Amino acid sequence: MQDRYPDPETFSAGVLYESLGKKLALDSMTGTRGYNRMIVSPDISRPGLCFSGYTHKFMHSRIQIIGETEITLLNQLSQKDRTAAVANVYNFPVVCCIVTKGLSPPEELVSAAQESDTALFVSPQDTTPLIHDLTDFLGEVFAPHVSLHGTLVDIYGEGLLVMGRSAIGKSEAVLGLVERGHRLVADDLVRVRKAGNRLIGTGDALIGFHMEIRGIGFVSIPELYGVGAIKEMQSVDLAVRLLDADLVDETDRSGLAEKHMNILGVDVPMVEIPVLPGRNITLLLEVAAMMNIQAKDTGCTSAERLNRKLIARMGRNRLRE
Amino acid sequence: MTEKVITVPNKLGIHARPAAMIVRVAVEFDCEIWVESPADRVNAKSIMGVMTLAASGGTSITVSAEGREETEAVEAIADVIRSGFGEEMI
Repeated sequence: MQDRYPDPETFSAGVLYESLGKKLALDSMTGTRGYNRMIVSPDISRPGLCFSGYTHKFMHSRIQIIGETEITLLNQLSQKDRTAAVANVYNFPVVCCIVTKGLSPPEELVSAAQESDTALFVSPQDTTPLIHDLTDFLGEVFAPHVSLHGTLVDIYGEGLLVMGRSAIGKSEAVLGLVERGHRLVADDLVRVRKAGNRLIGTGDALIGFHMEIRGIGFVSIPELYGVGAIKEMQSVDLAVRLLDADLVDETDRSGLAEKHMNILGVDVPMVEIPVLPGRNITLLLEVAAMMNIQAKDTGCTSAERLNRKLIARMGRNRLRE
Repeated sequence: MTEKVITVPNKLGIHARPAAMIVRVAVEFDCEIWVESPADRVNAKSIMGVMTLAASGGTSITVSAEGREETEAVEAIADVIRSGFGEEMI
C-alpha cells in the first residue's frame, strides 16, 4: 500500500504516472502529451469491443487497458482496417491507455494517441496483476475522505484520534505519548479516508511529522525522537474528545454508555475526557486505547463485565433471602 | 442527621448505571451522605462503594446525611431511587 494518495481533484494522467509509474513500470510513448487529462473514474476499461466496431456504451472516461487480446486483434487487420479500428477508440476523448505485457503498440495506435494528445503508456507487466494494482490504487484515490482537526497517534497498534478545541492540550498530551514510546501519525490535521468499512488516517505531506507546541514552536518528532516515533498511516479505531470540564455531561461515570462519532459513515467508538488542571491526559489516553483493545478482544467492555458480576451477585443475594 | 428507609423498586437493583445516577445527585451536595444496606454502609458519593452494596430489587436501604442541606440531600437521593432509574420495576 502507498503511504499517501493523490487528491482526486487534481488526479490527471500525469499524476498517475508520477505516483504509480514506478510500481507499474510505465513508460510513456507520447512524452508528456495528455498528462493534463483528468482521471475521474476508479474503474478501468478494456477497449477490445470498441476496436472491433461496437462503440455503444464505450467507457472512454476510464483508463483503457490494452492487453494481448486487443493487440492481437489490431495486428491481424490490414493497415486500413487497423487505422479505422484505432479511430473507433480515439474518436472518443479517451483519458489514457496502458499497453501491457511489454507488447509494442502498432504505429497507428501511437500516432492516434499523439494526434489526439492522449497519454499512451506501455508496461512490461502482465495484464491481470497490473489491473489489480491499478484498481487497488484507484480505489484508494477515489475513496471518500475528509480532513479533520485533531491528532492521530498509534498506541499499541490502536489508532487514537484526539480531538478538542484548540489550546485544550491535544498536542502536549500526544507529545507525552510519543515520549512513552507511542507513535505520531499526524498532528493538527488528519486526512481520513474510508477503505471498505475502515478509516485510515494520514498526515499532510507538507506538515509531515511536525508538531506545534505552544511556547516552543514547531517540533520535528523524527528528528528529536527518531523514526520509531512516527508512523505514516494508521486506522482510526477510537475517537477521544478532550472537553472543558464544565461542558462534560457527567451522567455516565461508569463507562457503560457507549458513545460513537460518525466519520464518513463509519461509527467510531468515542470517549469524552474532561480536562481539569492536574489531570494526566497522556496517561488517560493510553488507558483509553488499552481499554478499547481489550473491549475488541473480549467483545465487551470492563464496565459491562463488572456490571454483569454485580447483577449476578445481587441475584445470589436474593436467593439467599 | 437525617435518615430515610427506601425499598429498591427496580427489578435489576442498584447495578452500575443506577449507582452512577445516585452518585451524580450525591456529589451536588456539600454534606456527608451514606447509603446503607443490611450488610454494609457506604459513601453515596463513591460509585464503587454504592455498587459494592449489591442492593437487589426489593432490598430495603437506608439513606442518611449529615451537614449542610442534609434533608434536601436525603430527599434527592430518595427521589432517584424511588424513580426506579427509568428501568423495569418489580
